[in-house]
Amino acid sequence: MEENQNTVYKDKSYGQYRELFYSYDEGGKYDKTVGLHGEPNRLILQQAWDLFNERIEEAKQKVLAGKASPVVYYMEKNLLDPLNLSMMAGISLWRVKWHFRPAAFKRLSNKTLQKYATAFNITVEKLKKIEE
Amino acid sequence: MADKKTMINYTHRQAGHCESGATSNLLKFNGLNMSEPMAFGIGNGLYFSYIPFLKIQFAPMISFRNLPNTVFRRATKYLGIDATVIKKIKDPKEAMELLDRNLEKGIPTGCQVGVFQLTFFPPEYRMHYNMHNLVVFGKEGNQYHISDTVMEFAQVLTYEDLVRVRYAKGAFAPQGKMYWINHRIDRPVDLKPAIIKGIAKTVNEMIGIPFPLIGVKGLRWMARDIKNWPKKHGNDKAAFYLGQILRMAEDFGTGGAGFRYIYGAFLKEAGELFNNHQELLEASDLMGRTANKWREFTYVGARNCKNRSKPEENYGTLSEKLLEIAADEEKVYKILKNLKF
Repeated sequence: MEENQNTVYKDKSYGQYRELFYSYDEGGKYDKTVGLHGEPNRLILQQAWDLFNERIEEAKQKVLAGKASPVVYYMEKNLLDPLNLSMMAGISLWRVKWHFRPAAFKRLSNKTLQKYATAFNITVEKLKKIEE
Repeated sequence: MADKKTMINYTHRQAGHCESGATSNLLKFNGLNMSEPMAFGIGNGLYFSYIPFLKIQFAPMISFRNLPNTVFRRATKYLGIDATVIKKIKDPKEAMELLDRNLEKGIPTGCQVGVFQLTFFPPEYRMHYNMHNLVVFGKEGNQYHISDTVMEFAQVLTYEDLVRVRYAKGAFAPQGKMYWINHRIDRPVDLKPAIIKGIAKTVNEMIGIPFPLIGVKGLRWMARDIKNWPKKHGNDKAAFYLGQILRMAEDFGTGGAGFRYIYGAFLKEAGELFNNHQELLEASDLMGRTANKWREFTYVGARNCKNRSKPEENYGTLSEKLLEIAADEEKVYKILKNLKF
């Protein structure tokens, strides 16, 4: 195993997976190589993850300030948007958006909470409060 | 039940693309020696579509590949191989029982899964992407042995995890789709008619569909759109959208350059099979050059994502590059369209 050259990632295990790449030289020969990602790919990935992390952090602050319900935080943490979340949880889109408000979230029945918890793959107790 | 062990003598080979890799591995297991590019070309995995109004992961949807399961279904159909595809199984338990029965019979079975919950997948690729494919080839107690062609080695997944990924929800939900080859292939298979059919279908899909967002037309549409992104969405969002295109082209097990390398390799193999068919080899060469241009596009684009000093100018050059690529690709398909064997 080669040494991990990816310094740009925050997580240590990022980018250690070797993939198979094809390549072509002008002489008409196709080659297969197994290797790590190149520099540009790492840049792009890092850019995307920076954005996701930013969104997660923003959502977290909002929830802690009492301006949004934990559903928003877990939605961002699972990289979902409202439409996708409604598909995954089986709750209609406008109801999902309604539940983004803390007041509406408090009145939710256990059944609906369970639906969200299953979609996020966590327990209901964990859904009610956010902490790392 | 807990100690029961079933293992099929199935060889895991790494491949560039998940589904054509799985197809090629399954065919090899059943006695037909077929390389990955060949399976990819015959099953016409090559595709392009750009759907700006449908957002995936906060960016417009771009696809370089065909719909899930096209490669396996078309490859087996064109080759005349007896295969089973079950599109949808409502009950997860039933789906898993069917899988267990298959394993006991000694049939390695392919499944469509969602990527997000796959535990062995690299964390940076955990996207809500439901068109991934893997092959299950063994069971040991609660654990399944998985051959995921994007990974270097075979992996294991627990029963619960496998159920979760097979019933991932969202766009293009897998719904427990599974497929396998029924019999060993003991008669010689003629690849030539299958290749001709596969090429014709791909050409039709890339330049023949009269809809502006699919194929080469879609590529042109996207090139024109890129130019306006910084003005329309602001600098940060434009960079992110561009990053999404590049990620779709380079990552997710495409073998690089949005499958163009694999397709070029297929054309070369096909050309050699048809006694060094001149036009096929020419098309292969052009495809390889186009793929190199795609890679160059990625380099320039990634640099663009990093320092965003002169957005309008940079996106202008990117757009021109993409138009050039589109013109080149169109040339390839024109050559392929007028092929005579």
